[in-house]
Amino acid sequence: MSMAEPVPWVYVVDDDPDVLKAIERLLESVGLNVATFPSPQAFLERYDRNAPGCLVLDLALPGLNGLELQRVLEQEMSFLPVVFLTGHGDIAASVQAMKHGAADFLTKPVDDVVLIAAIQEALSRGRALRREGGERQRIAKCFATLTERERQVFGQIVAGKLNKQIAAELGLTEQTIKFHRANLMRKMGVRVVADLVNVAVRAGVGATPRV
Amino acid sequence: MIAASLTLGVIHVFVWVKRRSQYAHLLFFALALSAAIFGAFELAMMRAQSPAGYASELRWAHVPLTVGVLSVVWFVHFYFDAGRLWLAYAISGLRLVVLALNFMTGVNINFREISSLYHVMLWGGAVVSGPVGVANPWMLVAQVNNLLLFAFVADASITLWRRGDPDARRRATLVGGSLALCIIAAAALTSLITSGLAHAPTIVMPAVFLVVLAMGYELGWDVIAAAQLAARLRASEKRFRAVIEAVPSAILVVDDKGIITFANAQAEGLFGYPRTDLVAMPVEMLLPERTRVPHAALRQAYARDARARVMGAGRELSACRKDGGEIPVEVALSPMVTEQGLFILVSVVDITERRRLERETTRQRDEVAHLSRVAMLGELSGSLAHELNQPLTAILSNAQAAQRFLAQDPPRLDKLGEILTDIVKNDRRAGGVIQRLRSMLRKEEAQRHPLDLNEVVEESLRLMRSDLLNRQVVASAVLEEELPAVSGDRNQLQQVLLNVVINACDAMDGQEVDRQLLVHTQTTAQGNVEIRVADRGGGIPLADLERIFEPFVTTKVHGVGLGLAICRSIVEAHGGHLWATNNPDRGATLHCELPAQRL
Repeated sequence: MSMAEPVPWVYVVDDDPDVLKAIERLLESVGLNVATFPSPQAFLERYDRNAPGCLVLDLALPGLNGLELQRVLEQEMSFLPVVFLTGHGDIAASVQAMKHGAADFLTKPVDDVVLIAAIQEALSRGRALRREGGERQRIAKCFATLTERERQVFGQIVAGKLNKQIAAELGLTEQTIKFHRANLMRKMGVRVVADLVNVAVRAGVGATPRV
Repeated sequence: MIAASLTLGVIHVFVWVKRRSQYAHLLFFALALSAAIFGAFELAMMRAQSPAGYASELRWAHVPLTVGVLSVVWFVHFYFDAGRLWLAYAISGLRLVVLALNFMTGVNINFREISSLYHVMLWGGAVVSGPVGVANPWMLVAQVNNLLLFAFVADASITLWRRGDPDARRRATLVGGSLALCIIAAAALTSLITSGLAHAPTIVMPAVFLVVLAMGYELGWDVIAAAQLAARLRASEKRFRAVIEAVPSAILVVDDKGIITFANAQAEGLFGYPRTDLVAMPVEMLLPERTRVPHAALRQAYARDARARVMGAGRELSACRKDGGEIPVEVALSPMVTEQGLFILVSVVDITERRRLERETTRQRDEVAHLSRVAMLGELSGSLAHELNQPLTAILSNAQAAQRFLAQDPPRLDKLGEILTDIVKNDRRAGGVIQRLRSMLRKEEAQRHPLDLNEVVEESLRLMRSDLLNRQVVASAVLEEELPAVSGDRNQLQQVLLNVVINACDAMDGQEVDRQLLVHTQTTAQGNVEIRVADRGGGIPLADLERIFEPFVTTKVHGVGLGLAICRSIVEAHGGHLWATNNPDRGATLHCELPAQRL
């Protein structure tokens, strides 16, 4: 972890104040940075969207339930991994949670070691997601500056075509293709074609490479 | 005729001796006696040898005649209960005047003098004497008196006849008719003989005897009727006793001093005393010792305002047997006012068996309620487990946090105090849930305690909290402050509430929005306590509003249909009502009304 990385938050959402308080104490005892919320609404209103961290979430909650909150975070393109902590997790709910990318699914009462391990795991996963997410966002930003023609050319290059082939395909001269190619390489911040393909795969932009 | 008159007279004097108030019998005796004496004089007159003897005998014959007339007048007056009183006095007075004139004028009232006797042969060959002489002018007074007598009898008879009942009419005809005939016959005969128009013996006796017979018949009829009445009375009393003995309950008759005057066979069986002991025993002896004094006071109060009623309605009454055993009884009182004072007919029923059946019914209802409660708790097991899990989670995490704080170097002791406090609190919380569960699962007789229904509502919603969350039902409660307490079994009433709330949630299953549940408590206008549980589901079809409380009627796929039937039986056992209505906008409301506990 670089020194510049901010301290991650562990958010805990549970409607039982006693449980909330106990989990908060446990996590503080291992030096974690804890913020507690009695309801999903309170969490959504107040959590820091820019800070790294993870979410320890009860399943049965008033208003939005745990699964619904997970869905909202998904839509917000949040990088917060979710550790479910529930009283009676039935299989259907746990499958749902895992399908939507839950970091873990624990049942109460939870042993400290298990909970802390799950949180550590979720935090590191959160860091990776953030990094990946940050990269993807940068690529997406660059990709957004490309013109329509440049995007077409991008797709052809990634598909492994030669300039001559691309020119024939798009009905342009080879010279024009070279011009577009140089521009888009500059805009995307890459020097060699191999990097460009890498970017396209990671960010899911351009055309899917033909195997 | 003389002998018959005498006999009839004597019979009635005996009747009169027994029944002093019946003057008719005495007067009849006087009449019969005077008729007999008059008959004797008449006989003597018929055998008279000289005019002087005849005259003297006729003169003296007027004495019984006067007594007879007076007897007739007053007999008619008393027996008919009719006739003009002034006329009766006038006749009586005038007749005495006639008697005086009889002795003061002429040889008697009929003749101034009798010159000779003639002899007449009657049928059968007997030769009797008749008078020849000058009529006494004062006889007019006697004739007027006869006329008045006739008028009096006729008037009284008509009055009697007009009363209309067959007995009175027969009496009027028979007695009145024979009297009238006798008066006319006697007066006519006397006039004819004294005026010398007819040569006949003075034979008034047959007419008088006719009267005596008619009156005797009537009076005898009365005596017979009285005897029949007495016989009927005896038969009726016999029937009364037979009925009283046949009645399945113990019957006592108690006088106004609380002394038993009659007891039937069932009373002997119920109280274990022989009838001879029961009669003359104070009724309080049949009560348990502790209630004897208050009962005597109650009995006296009852005697002041005696009305037929069931005693001690709604109270447990006990009777005490001879062997000291107490039995639960039901007592009905009905007063009988007689000439001898107030008597109270007490009917006592042993309700030991009824009580036993009631207890059995209660036991069975409690058992069914328990079974249904266990099944319902099974349904709620997830929610209940969650309610236990929460404090356990808090305890574990708190304890492990404490361990970690202690393991730090240096150990952080500042947090330990509040952590321990929270551990204790959550341990108690878990203990409370377990206790509630055990109490609801335990099979025990329903017990009545003062209950705050608000508390029951809050606790029920707490127990169901997780279930409500899982079903995404938003439950809210509007609870009236200072709600009066009700007397009830906490487990059973909680069962009712949980059941109703589960039903309300079921009604909103599969509904995307508006899953709201509202629980209200309030005091009704009658001072009862009402709990309303309103949902926002599909409501209840009108035809089912009442049917849902029948056993085995269910609208659910997996329901047995016993829940609401049992709930209703529980609420009714608490003296309350449970019913359903549909809300004006949507959904249904279950109402549970329970009587507030009287302070």
